[in-house]
Amino acid sequence: MLTNIVLDSLVTGLPLAPLTLGVYVVFRIRQDFDLTVEGSFALGAAVAAVLLVAVVHPFLAVVAGALAGAAAGAVTAALHLGLGIPVLLAGLIMSIGLFSVTLHVLTGPTVGLAGAETIFTVLGVTGDAGQVLVLAALVAAVLGAFALFLRTELGLALRASGAAPAMVRSQGVGDAQIVTLSLCLANLLAALRGALLVQVQGFADVNLGIGMFVAAIGAVLLGTLAVRPSGSRVLRIVAAVVVGTLTYRLVLVAALRFGLPAADLKAITALTLVAAVAVQRYGAATLGRAEPALPAAVRQ
Amino acid sequence: MSAPALALSGVRLVHNPGRSDEVVALHGLDLEVARGEFVTVVGSNGAGKSSMVSVVSGATRPTTGRVRIDGRDVTRLPAHRRAGSVARVFDDPRTGTAPELSIEDNLALAARRGRRRGLRRAVGPKQRAEFRERLAELGLGLEDRMQDPVGLLSAGQRQSVTMVMAGLVAPSVLLLDEHLAALDPATAARVLRLTCALAERTEAAVLMVTHNMQHAIDVGDRLMVMDRGRLVADVRGPRKEQLTVDAVVDLITTAGGVVADRSLLAGTEER
Ligand SMILES: Nc1ncnc2c1ncn2[C@@H]1O[C@H](COP(=O)(O)OP(=O)(O)OP(=O)(O)O)[C@@H](O)[C@H]1O
Ligand SMILES: [Mg+2]
Repeated sequence: MLTNIVLDSLVTGLPLAPLTLGVYVVFRIRQDFDLTVEGSFALGAAVAAVLLVAVVHPFLAVVAGALAGAAAGAVTAALHLGLGIPVLLAGLIMSIGLFSVTLHVLTGPTVGLAGAETIFTVLGVTGDAGQVLVLAALVAAVLGAFALFLRTELGLALRASGAAPAMVRSQGVGDAQIVTLSLCLANLLAALRGALLVQVQGFADVNLGIGMFVAAIGAVLLGTLAVRPSGSRVLRIVAAVVVGTLTYRLVLVAALRFGLPAADLKAITALTLVAAVAVQRYGAATLGRAEPALPAAVRQ
Repeated sequence: MSAPALALSGVRLVHNPGRSDEVVALHGLDLEVARGEFVTVVGSNGAGKSSMVSVVSGATRPTTGRVRIDGRDVTRLPAHRRAGSVARVFDDPRTGTAPELSIEDNLALAARRGRRRGLRRAVGPKQRAEFRERLAELGLGLEDRMQDPVGLLSAGQRQSVTMVMAGLVAPSVLLLDEHLAALDPATAARVLRLTCALAERTEAAVLMVTHNMQHAIDVGDRLMVMDRGRLVADVRGPRKEQLTVDAVVDLITTAGGVVADRSLLAGTEER
């Protein structure tokens, strides 16, 4: 039973990691909220699905799906920078607007792959275990590349920009550049997760993104709690994303396995979020952890 | 003669124009600071010192007037686009550094001030060696704590790191707005020595705002008094060396009234 729960969490959790990472970038590093990710997630899935059905090479389909997400992020950034709309609101607008875009891409609410090639079939991989391995390798590559990016000059500027905006500006880094970079990255990662999911579940649905933002926030909170990442500990950031995603998944899978009706999953999600914030806040004194759970922008 | 490192001409700054809470922070300021010249700026609260600093840094754009750095008109450039030639040390030690990042990462961020940032590794062995050397000069043992988050440092240590950061890319203009205000007297004296060394090494035009009259007299080549958005005294050379704390306080308190100290103001004409 226990091994089943753990395996299940791995299978369903691993592909989630890029989304968690994307949300981490905006939520923890930039100390902001970007709801665009829900729309990008579904858009990435839709673009990948449609391309797979059109017999485009599966890896190209994944890349195209991810780039569609990055483009959505760029539009959110443009709304924020051009019209002065706060990122939170711009993202909300985008997540609504992208729903229609995704519907158009899919030309209907769902598209099934109906036996089209996927990244698994082109690699000749069958069965759950093989899929997990492929996904794990892909996710590891994405997280590794991201860790390397965070160590570059640009990545360093990004890491500093949320907590010390005046300092970063006085060092010659423009807000516009960093906002655009972070939103493109976050949505690229969210859409990538969508494009990967399509290959696993065999269909894309316009509603895929719903609830994904909160789920990712939950994962980020749990990961932060467990691993305590900080600005200069890049490996810890990546570790927090993986641990957070898997722990979050473990909670949900365990709840299901222990016979909780699927209808109550949302309540479990909500409780997990509350518990993570509460532990972070009130556990601080006892555990000697001073870091706040929520970005400064949302604490009063 | 080459252009002065910093030139303000007719700089006027109005906050909330047209509203009932309209404040004229700067009244047509004219000022030239040469390369290597160290100016200390004093004046009562609300005199416009910080306003002048932020107009130079680009954080605020003047309502009218021009700002030139090394002869280049930068009036319309935002702060991040002039960062290559302007280094700024904030009054709050927490503002000038990124607390969550390590000392090393903060230095790396400053090592590319005003330059293009790309996908090169931010901290390599070469940079690390340079940072270590610069930190060692502080004599605070920080060179052995390069991986520690800056947030763990005391205010004095942080402000010392900020001074190192300001010097990694030699600026044309160095702005110091009450940068010693949060420090105890001994630490303030130490960071002030760092400041002078930095000014000398980079040959920047320095504007140092302070409420400590002794500091304003002891360091620098030139002392300026501001009052209600105007420059009311500008003392240099031998005149400055003869200044006493009382004389400066007099300058500040009588400023704005009719009795601006003529003899001291006259000092600005000789040169
Ligand atoms: N953002 C702002 N909005 C409105 N008024 C402002 C703003 N910033 C400064 N002021 C006003 O401009 C005037 C000059 O302020 P400034 O901060 O430049 O003074 P200062 O000389 O630095 O004073 P202090 O010694 O207290 O730091 C003050 O009257 C201040 O109230
Ligand atoms: Mg001030």
